[in-house]
Amino acid sequence: MRRILPLAAGLAFALVAGQALAAEQVVSQKGKAFSVKKLTVTVGDSVRFVNDDPFAHNVFSLSDTKSFDLGSYGQGLAKSVLMDKSGIVDVECAVHPDMKMTIEVKPK
Amino acid sequence: MRRVLLAAVLLAGACHAGAQLSQAYAQVVATTAKPLLARDGPDAQAFRGSLVFFNYCVTCHGPNADGNGRAAKLYTPRPANLRASDKNIIKYMRLIVRNGGKSMGRSEFMPPWGEELTDEQIADVTVYLQSINDRVAASTPR
Repeated sequence: MRRILPLAAGLAFALVAGQALAAEQVVSQKGKAFSVKKLTVTVGDSVRFVNDDPFAHNVFSLSDTKSFDLGSYGQGLAKSVLMDKSGIVDVECAVHPDMKMTIEVKPK
Repeated sequence: MRRVLLAAVLLAGACHAGAQLSQAYAQVVATTAKPLLARDGPDAQAFRGSLVFFNYCVTCHGPNADGNGRAAKLYTPRPANLRASDKNIIKYMRLIVRNGGKSMGRSEFMPPWGEELTDEQIADVTVYLQSINDRVAASTPR
């Protein structure tokens, strides 16, 4: 029992520390452009896409590292994506073909 | 003499670029049942619509408008095959484009384009889609 207790405490600490270390980066969409062209995050981080335009955006990626589609959402709304694999993620907007950005996901 | 030489070089370059372009277009026409771009057709509205289509719709619906765009793999159900669509009533198509699929009881992944496209662009792209619809072509008397 004495051995299990420190082990469980250590495991709980590692879990909490891991979550605390995972960051959330924010990318705004304003004036039909992403607020940054390039972003570097670490595996486990999330990227939150905030729509600051008065019309809808539809953020998606077809990259092998992370493919996703956040769907169409309007002003003031935001959606997050967990970056769970290292590599390059090319992000686009389905409604505005000129909107593009790249996320580099670095290993932990 | 220098001017003449320069003009000759420019003319040769322009001819070469033009030849390359027409060759590429001929390849597109040769590999499809009918020209996808209404460039050579009499209908300017369909041509303008093709520009809208190739700028906004091609990502999901694909260059052949058959639902095999590069983003199609993200969606279930897959994007509609617009060449075989039975929803080819202009008014209905305009509603889907303007208000999005969800509002019409269809795919929620089809965004509402009314905020991005003008009424003219929506009208143009639906005319273009009718012009390449195989069902419309089959039912049109020759």
